Amino acid sequence: MKKETCILDIKKFNLHINEHHILKNLDLPFYRKKVTAIMGPSGCGKSTLVRSINRLNDAIPGVKMSGNMFLYKKNLLEMNPMLVRRKVGMVFQRPNPFPTMSIYENVLAGYTLNGLKLDKTEKESIVADSLEKAALWDEVKDNLHRKGTFLSGGQQQRLCIARALAMNPKILLLDEPTSALDPKSTARIEELIIELKSKVSIIMVTHNMGQAARISDYTAFLYLGELIEYDSTEVMFDSPKHSRTKDYLKRKFG
Amino acid sequence: MINTRSVEARLIKNIVFKSLVFSMSFIVLIPLFFILFYIVKNGISAFSLDFFLNLPKPVGEIGGGISNAIVGTLLLIVISSSIAIPFGIFIGLYLAENKVGLLPELTRLCVDTLQGVPSIVMGIIAYAWIVIPMGSFSVLSGGIALSLMMLPIVVKSTEETMSLIPESLKEAAFALGAPYYTTMIKVVIPSSKKGILSGVLLGIARVSGETAPLLFTAFGSPFMNTDILKPANSLPLLIFNYATSPYDDWQSLAWGASLVLVLFILSLSILAKVVIKK
Repeated sequence: MKKETCILDIKKFNLHINEHHILKNLDLPFYRKKVTAIMGPSGCGKSTLVRSINRLNDAIPGVKMSGNMFLYKKNLLEMNPMLVRRKVGMVFQRPNPFPTMSIYENVLAGYTLNGLKLDKTEKESIVADSLEKAALWDEVKDNLHRKGTFLSGGQQQRLCIARALAMNPKILLLDEPTSALDPKSTARIEELIIELKSKVSIIMVTHNMGQAARISDYTAFLYLGELIEYDSTEVMFDSPKHSRTKDYLKRKFG
Repeated sequence: MINTRSVEARLIKNIVFKSLVFSMSFIVLIPLFFILFYIVKNGISAFSLDFFLNLPKPVGEIGGGISNAIVGTLLLIVISSSIAIPFGIFIGLYLAENKVGLLPELTRLCVDTLQGVPSIVMGIIAYAWIVIPMGSFSVLSGGIALSLMMLPIVVKSTEETMSLIPESLKEAAFALGAPYYTTMIKVVIPSSKKGILSGVLLGIARVSGETAPLLFTAFGSPFMNTDILKPANSLPLLIFNYATSPYDDWQSLAWGASLVLVLFILSLSILAKVVIKK
């Protein structure tokens, strides 16, 4: 593997829910300003992994985590979850803009929900900048005060990306961000992800191998909670080392 | 194989069933319209400006109105709402957020039981807890008795609407680093405000017609009173007292007051439906 700057270093990470060992001894470095795809069949723990990075699994009853996740030098697992989530943004499978808020308010939701005060010019520049980054500005700039839920599914998802970007996260987690969208919106989001990697490091869960091949720099293959193979996307797709990876890529299972 | 005859038989059964459902629903409407018609017919003649602005007059004097009962009813609604709404929303939120566990289930059982407690019992409780220690019948004690009746309605509607809020919406807020309380106050409660509001309106409609809890709390009074520590009249109390009196003009006032009450409750119910649909 080439020499890259590591932004998030996962070391010996284990996750149990009651007696079930869900994620097994994962060692996984994520690189700065790259797109890393996490692939694997249903139930392999890929969503659980990204949700752990954002500490959203903390609320599950019976969950136990061990190991380390270093964001630069700080261990995410020992930080306050609320602070972790301000550094690590997350976009979910289904677009989930806040239905009571306008587009404008949705982008700023990270600030208002955290009680952070901004003046009007700051607000306007954050809204314009974030929507610009999420490639949504041109479509919504005349309707900023309409409800976010009036937008199409793909636009809503880009609004959610803008909402996450507004907080200036170090890492953006995308949990199957296009699985609820039509092909056209999917293509739009894929382009966006490629544009975004110059600004933020992206970790993306995907079911879609084509998508991983098209937009990611690195790919990790997870199977039954274990990391089977991790390499640059090129190597993974052209010459996978592990037989399970080969089988998965040939769609023998999954 | 289904032969033609059995298909015909099924069609006939379908028609019979559908017309049964329709006619039953229609029959239910008849008594409602009959009641409305009867109250309007008897009550409308009492309506005049004096009826709304004047106090009741002693027997034998012509005229008189129900202004003190209208004011009393509004006061009772304000008191009971200001107790039942905050408690109801927080209890409903707690139950929606905590589906299982000893305390949530116990709370749910208590709320269900409270809903089933006869209204006269609420009056006795408010009498024992507030009227006796304070030494006087009062609007406050009546308002508290009514708030106990209103509470389960607000709790239930809040819990039901909040349970419908998708988990993904809360996760969206948590993922932005929002603490639990702002997630609830700025995301969950605003998203369920229609349901809460309609519950509140139905709760007000429910208590504004209650007589029994007020018999030994608000007690009734022929005078105008806005002091919540003193007894006051309310529409249902006025109806109860005047309708059972032997005087024609008092009975006519009672009909008028019934019409006011029915129209008030009807408009609250319609408003609740409009709020939900909007």
